[in-house]
Amino acid sequence: MATKSVLNDSKQVARAVALINLGARLQVLESETDLSYERLLRLYKEVAGRSPSKGQLPFSTEWFLTWQPNIHASLFQNTYEYLTKVSALEDIDAIMKAYKLYSEQIAACGVEPLLSITRAWRLVKFIDNNMLSMTKCSKCGGHFVSEAYENSRHFECGLCSPPARAGKGAGAGGILLH
Amino acid sequence: MTNDQILSEIREANLTYLMLAQNLIRQDKAEALFRLGLSEESATMIGALSPAQIFKIASGNMLLCRFRMDDEIVWNLLTNHTAAKVDNDATTRLHASILMAGRFAEAL
Repeated sequence: MATKSVLNDSKQVARAVALINLGARLQVLESETDLSYERLLRLYKEVAGRSPSKGQLPFSTEWFLTWQPNIHASLFQNTYEYLTKVSALEDIDAIMKAYKLYSEQIAACGVEPLLSITRAWRLVKFIDNNMLSMTKCSKCGGHFVSEAYENSRHFECGLCSPPARAGKGAGAGGILLH
Repeated sequence: MTNDQILSEIREANLTYLMLAQNLIRQDKAEALFRLGLSEESATMIGALSPAQIFKIASGNMLLCRFRMDDEIVWNLLTNHTAAKVDNDATTRLHASILMAGRFAEAL
């Protein structure tokens, strides 16, 4: 049996609390900390003041490819990759920091944050597992979330070439074109 | 603006920049690297400066912080000068943020 380190345990609890405060689902906590399910459940109720949402995480890769979510996801992923390239962070710490920076930037632009921490975490996993990738836009040169094997020669991002209906259905807090 | 004024304004800007940078770096280094666009080595040095050192470095005839977007695309997006398919101010700023967040080459 592995010897339990009190220091490591408190670090794990602190990380779990930070994730719960960001609104993470229980599955994220289970995957990113060594704490038992029972302890996480108790912690969740204590921190959030309610029981965690039940059920599977419903997110498929498709969501990240639809117009508005794609822009949010791309901003997050660029920030995440920036952080991991310039400093040696553990993945989950980089995700939390990138999420904070993403939320700040989105708020500064007066747009509602569409990406939740759970979705941001899923996005990083999808890209790690080559189910999605980042492709350079041939017009603006920015990197955007795309299909795993997107042809970068003809790829144009959703902001350089918005689809016909883009921005029409968006209410207040959405991304608008005009 | 007289020459003395220019020098004192530059010193003022340098002081403000260095103090802000140092605060950010000491608070959360990874986050600071993103916000400041600095390399880890420069950030470590700035983080370790004493107030007396900051004072010394700040005086001179050169600004210490450099402009971060030296290309036309980002610049046009930020100022919204070119009429493109998208002319919503918030959306073009969002576009610029995505481009800027993707530039880590200078910080390596």
